[in-house]
Amino acid sequence: MAAESERVDRSSHSMDKSITLPPNEIFRNLENAKRFAIDIGGSLTKLAYYSTVQHKVAKVRSFDHTAKDTEDDPLYEISMQEEILARLHFIKFENAYIETCLDFIKDHLVNTDTKVIKATGGGAHKFKDLIEKKLKLRVDKEDEMTCLIKGCNFVLRNIPHEAFVYVKHADSEFRFQNTHPDIFPYLLINIGSGVSIIKVESEDTFERVGGSSIGGGTFWGLGALLTKTKRFDELLQLASKGQHTSVDMLVKDIYGGSYVSLGLTGDLIASSFGKSATADKEFSKEDMAKSLLHMISNDIGQLACLYARLHNLTRVYFGGFFIRGHPVTMHTITYSINFFTKGEVQALFLRHEGYLGTIGAFLKGAEEDNPNQYSWGENYAGSSGLMSTSPDLNPMQRARSGTFDMLEMDRLERQLVNLPLLQDPSSYIPDTVDLSEDALAREYWLYCFEEALDGVVKRAVASQPDLPEAAERAEKFRHKYLHKLQTLRHQPFAYGSLTVRSLLDTREHCLNEFNFPDPYSKIKQRENDMALKYFQKAVKSLEELSWEQRQFALVRGLLAGNVFDWGAKAVSDVLESDPEFGFEQAKRQLEERPWLIDNYDQWLERLNGPPHKCALFFVDNSGIDIILGVFPFVRELLCRGTEVVLASNSSPALNDVTNNELQILTERIAAMDPVIQSAVKEDRLTLVQSGSSSPCLDLSRLDKVLAGVVRERHTDLVIIEGMGRAIHTNYYALLSCESLKMAVIKNSWLADRLGGKLFSVVFKYEVPLDKKNTTLDHVPVTPS
Amino acid sequence: MAKIVDSSHSMDKSITLPPDEIFRNLENAKRFAIDIGGSLTKLAYYSTVQHKVAKVRSFDHTAKETEGDPLYEISMQEEVSARLHFIKFENAYIETCLDFIKDHLVNTDTKVIKATGGGAHKFKDLIEKKLKLRVDKEDEMTCLIKGCNFVLRNITHEAFVYAKHADSEFRFQNTHPDIFPYLLINIGSGVSIFKVESEDTFERVGGSSIGGGTFWGLGALLTKTKKFDELLQLASKGQHTNVDMLVKDIYGGSYGSLGLTGDLIASSFGKSATPDKEFSKEDMAKSLLHMISNDIGQLACLYARLHNLTRVYFGGFFIRGHPVTMHTITYSINFFTKGEVQALFLRHEGYLGTIGAFLKGAEEDNPNQYSWGENYAGSSGLMSTSPDLNPMQRARSGTFDMLEMDRLERQLVNLPLLQDPSSYIPDTVDLSEDALAREYWLYCFEEALDGVVKRAVASQPDLPEAAERAEKFRHKYQHKLQTLRHQPL
Repeated sequence: MAAESERVDRSSHSMDKSITLPPNEIFRNLENAKRFAIDIGGSLTKLAYYSTVQHKVAKVRSFDHTAKDTEDDPLYEISMQEEILARLHFIKFENAYIETCLDFIKDHLVNTDTKVIKATGGGAHKFKDLIEKKLKLRVDKEDEMTCLIKGCNFVLRNIPHEAFVYVKHADSEFRFQNTHPDIFPYLLINIGSGVSIIKVESEDTFERVGGSSIGGGTFWGLGALLTKTKRFDELLQLASKGQHTSVDMLVKDIYGGSYVSLGLTGDLIASSFGKSATADKEFSKEDMAKSLLHMISNDIGQLACLYARLHNLTRVYFGGFFIRGHPVTMHTITYSINFFTKGEVQALFLRHEGYLGTIGAFLKGAEEDNPNQYSWGENYAGSSGLMSTSPDLNPMQRARSGTFDMLEMDRLERQLVNLPLLQDPSSYIPDTVDLSEDALAREYWLYCFEEALDGVVKRAVASQPDLPEAAERAEKFRHKYLHKLQTLRHQPFAYGSLTVRSLLDTREHCLNEFNFPDPYSKIKQRENDMALKYFQKAVKSLEELSWEQRQFALVRGLLAGNVFDWGAKAVSDVLESDPEFGFEQAKRQLEERPWLIDNYDQWLERLNGPPHKCALFFVDNSGIDIILGVFPFVRELLCRGTEVVLASNSSPALNDVTNNELQILTERIAAMDPVIQSAVKEDRLTLVQSGSSSPCLDLSRLDKVLAGVVRERHTDLVIIEGMGRAIHTNYYALLSCESLKMAVIKNSWLADRLGGKLFSVVFKYEVPLDKKNTTLDHVPVTPS
Repeated sequence: MAKIVDSSHSMDKSITLPPDEIFRNLENAKRFAIDIGGSLTKLAYYSTVQHKVAKVRSFDHTAKETEGDPLYEISMQEEVSARLHFIKFENAYIETCLDFIKDHLVNTDTKVIKATGGGAHKFKDLIEKKLKLRVDKEDEMTCLIKGCNFVLRNITHEAFVYAKHADSEFRFQNTHPDIFPYLLINIGSGVSIFKVESEDTFERVGGSSIGGGTFWGLGALLTKTKKFDELLQLASKGQHTNVDMLVKDIYGGSYGSLGLTGDLIASSFGKSATPDKEFSKEDMAKSLLHMISNDIGQLACLYARLHNLTRVYFGGFFIRGHPVTMHTITYSINFFTKGEVQALFLRHEGYLGTIGAFLKGAEEDNPNQYSWGENYAGSSGLMSTSPDLNPMQRARSGTFDMLEMDRLERQLVNLPLLQDPSSYIPDTVDLSEDALAREYWLYCFEEALDGVVKRAVASQPDLPEAAERAEKFRHKYQHKLQTLRHQPL
């Protein structure tokens, strides 16, 4: 924070000039803003508001087919509608800008309902009058700790990869933690001027179980006295260059080596500053700062560990200005925790730690909107992401941290929960490859997404032929996404672990940002239309086969259908150059058995057994995939007496079939096929939305309704289809029931990684260990 | 301590007691042990004392029994009793002391001296050269714990609670018949925290690098005062609130919902980053002392809770005889445990290492099988430690301090019929807490002294020097009474 005081000195006269982003890109959607909250710390202000964003969504609506049903009419009508979405905005800036910011807000605030601004933080009372004068809002103070905890609960629950472990010398500095479905209980160590140790047991129950006066203020204060350096950041900088051993007395300084009988190694610090009383010499500022940093970090680490042990807690999060974005302190605290707990407890840090207070204050004010009843998702398009914190690595980017930082969260329409069939929700990791830890893979995929960008832009423009400014918006999208890709190349951890999924999701967020809600809508429409025409024929030809032939044909059909995936570049190239590339051709293109992963024999053997009670099917693409691949397969399951739940995306992503579209398709198929019709009528075939709008699948964030249906129906089979859902994600996911993961690998790099080639087939049938020996003992163990 | 090191050129002159009153009974001394710390040397030896005992013997009544014969015969006999001697002096005197010991050591059986403490290897050659004894090093912590067990078991009123503002500074604890388990916090340069479960079982359960060395080192850097005692002196005069950030400095008052009072230190040195302000040495030293004492107190309390221990003893040079640190540690422990745990200090804390080393060397004599009693005549006793109250006596602490323990002929245990041995207090009135009663009884004993001297002389009509010895007795006892008037503890 001392560093900020430097900036205050330097920039207070010219503060307006140093705002690097135009204010309207920082304070977005102010027009409809309401429910303001502000957290004013010693040097940084964090502002929060709730706003609504009007944006376009693509809706599909079935035509009234009863009236006139001509051959040439499209299956359904696509319309663009304006929809209002709730978004939370969090902006962090230096206290020096507070007046400028308040002026800007006042000028742009249209909503007149807002009467109150919730405030927290030590500086809240200092700026109270200014805020009330400028904004004409009543400042309503909220308890600091309560806000902090409320905010912490909120981010832990709603932001995947919120928490991370810091590893200084590892390939990737940050190792993100999968959020445990049950976030409680945990210990929060807030290292501000002093230290507060808070045990959090539930949303509303927390207790300050301990604290210490040896905190960030002690480092700063003693550091200033010892080194005459009054700036916090400079003190840290000094510390990172010092040698503590010239100031500290080590065990070996006393005993000549280690003190074996007590298990003390020679390098252990026996006495902090133990050498500085006796030696008649001057100590360097660096050495003293380093020794001080060790002393304080070790002490806090030890206290944290003791309180964790006393309260039987293993999850310990660290926050406060001593930690915030400082790799030096994250490292020493991590080291200390490892030392004292012998690795039993990990020091966890939070990506949005600086926002906790303001998030909490906001939530206090928004209680009537029930924000905790919704699920929220980080909007990658509007959020700054985690800065690389290594001071030496990215000095340019660190400088940026001094200005403005943003976090935006979208209210998701549906509340998201775990799939109840996950074998171990706490260890489930959706993504197959962590690109932040694999430099080669990262390079490849970033290149891949850059390459594909032209096509995406083209398609986005083509999807809105009636809108002349579409081209301009598409260019803006290109610019933003390219910038994100570049940021991710340098800071792969900006939004948690970098994965193919996060790259895809970021692209979707950016498309939405520029009002391209569904660039594939027309293509999907055309494909669905075309495929429907072949449905009856396809079913008929399947029915002519023997049972065993049919089972194989169904699987081949499903896999062939999945080749039709506009999201994969190799396929979209073929499809665009040769529109005649048909279903039959795709089947011929399929790899011959044995496939790359081939559990077909086990699957067939299983089909000889009793029918499944209920199958949950995560579907993939529109068109041939869903209509000629999935529906015949589902039809067979239904005929066997298995209930089927089809889970599709809530909102568009690539050419994936959305829940809306699937409803229309199902109606149309039901009209042609009595099996489907009766199943729909008898509720044996159910459509649910996944809650997702990603081409990938996070089984820990699924629509609550889906989870309920899965439970009610005693689902005993989960089918996951497609590269995004079954390979990029969930390839290694373990379920507590039988599962079938099917995909054609349409990316040569990925095929290579998995030991196959382009269009290799993955057919992974798995039975959990505990089920194998009971009802299904005839099913052999699946190779992994 | 550094102060005394400076005076090393005139060390002989400053010995205030004649050496033969310090190193008593050296003639028969054996089983030497030495504990050399950063500034103080503690020497231990076992010796035998020849002294007179009065014996009574029945006459043979069967032979002839005349009316005028007394009931039994009284005779004076010489008896040899075992005594442990412990002497503490500054490292500066070590050479002089070794010379004196060498000159007076008669017993030639002794081949070995047990040594412990950080300074043991530094002085090894000197000791071997001077005393012609082989230095046998013993593990420091093992000695410390052994010594601690020994004093807790053998010296009544060994442990005390320190209460700065109470009528009596020291409140002595009745030794619990079962001394285990306990926590020993040794605050030397760093801090070691031991859990002691039995005579031979102890574990270093924790420690901290923030200890006496940190106070001294950081204090020296902050105040340019290089002397530990002076730093404490500075601290006792400072105002920590000028340097520390209090809860009320942040919140304007207490933080009620978290139960934090306004005066609580929110951040040690939290005010000292403020630009352009000078802080006094006293204030910084005080803040530092609070920071370190509170931290140690908190750690002690957490380890005590983790291990379910309620008896926590503090020792080490940071504590030793310093009312300032005893007070802050006591305060911290009270704060963190809300009074559930009491900070206990030991009267002979400085001797633990040497007692332990001695016991290691004397294991064949089975010292732990006997009961031992503190010999009040030969022991210096606890000094009043208030720096302002008794500057004269504090000065003495720089020189020599003695503890003597007599081996009791019989092993002593509790009366098995005591309802609660741990709460049993033999004495009806504690004179140290009752000034009026103290005054009365001290007067009373002084008054009676004449009679006692007279009776003592009369008891030995055949010995011409009895009168002289009786006068020596009078002198010594009177001195003790006077000491007790000033230091009732």
